[in-house]
Amino acid sequence: MPGTGPGMLRDRRARVRAIPRRSAVWYNKCVDLLTVSVTARESAGHPYTLVEVGGEADVTNSDELHRLLEGEAAAQPRMLIVDLSGLRFMDSSALHALLRVNRSLDRQGGVLALVSPQPAVAKMLRLTTADQLIPVFGTVAEAAVG
Amino acid sequence: MKRGPVSVSYTTDLSAVRAVVHRYAVAAGLSDARAIDLVLAVSEVAANTVRHARSGGRLEIWQGTGEIVCRLSDGGTIADPLAGRRQPSLDDLSGHGLWIVHQVCDKVEIRSGAAGTTIALHMALHAGDGPRHAP
Repeated sequence: MPGTGPGMLRDRRARVRAIPRRSAVWYNKCVDLLTVSVTARESAGHPYTLVEVGGEADVTNSDELHRLLEGEAAAQPRMLIVDLSGLRFMDSSALHALLRVNRSLDRQGGVLALVSPQPAVAKMLRLTTADQLIPVFGTVAEAAVG
Repeated sequence: MKRGPVSVSYTTDLSAVRAVVHRYAVAAGLSDARAIDLVLAVSEVAANTVRHARSGGRLEIWQGTGEIVCRLSDGGTIADPLAGRRQPSLDDLSGHGLWIVHQVCDKVEIRSGAAGTTIALHMALHAGDGPRHAP
């Protein structure tokens, strides 16, 4: 996300909100095996940020994943929803990226929600009990209404 | 039919490592859930190579009597003999890797010294190979 401080993100969000109904993709980013796309959305008048993560997240790209998610958290969304349905694999480094972002959001009164993890990702969340700390939903729509 | 051994070197290409392990595990008859467990474990050990070792590592997979073994060797050293034996808190942003390895594998052997580290992960091939942990 070159040249986008928190201020820039807020500016972009304002522009996206001006578009009637649901948003445009802010950016698509591909880091080796990992793809991340971010959109601003709205559900029943409540805005949220949707991050769709795809591919495989491990120690070789978890720093980048953390940077991207932390960048979104810096825009202080009420809710940051991470759709994991396209993510085939997540190791403990990538889990730590989610835990750190969860902490950042928690401190500023925001909420992180995860959606639709595949079996390997769900297993990681369950083994580490991260799924008891971060809410996991079946669909984005469910997550959006909390 | 027993499958022959496989040996691969790796550096940061962990996706390829995971693919090799998953293919071998499924072909050897491990259930989907336990093949995922083995992939998780191998990936965490190989991730430690990426984090701590100065050079790459080697993965060997073979089918023993009633089990699959994945042995990973690298030049790193694990100082804590109890590494992975205690469950880290979610506030700890390290230490989950080896803990997960111990959770999902049937047996884990760790040998570590100045010459490097070798970790052998054993997964039993049960008759009705069910997941060790409830889904």
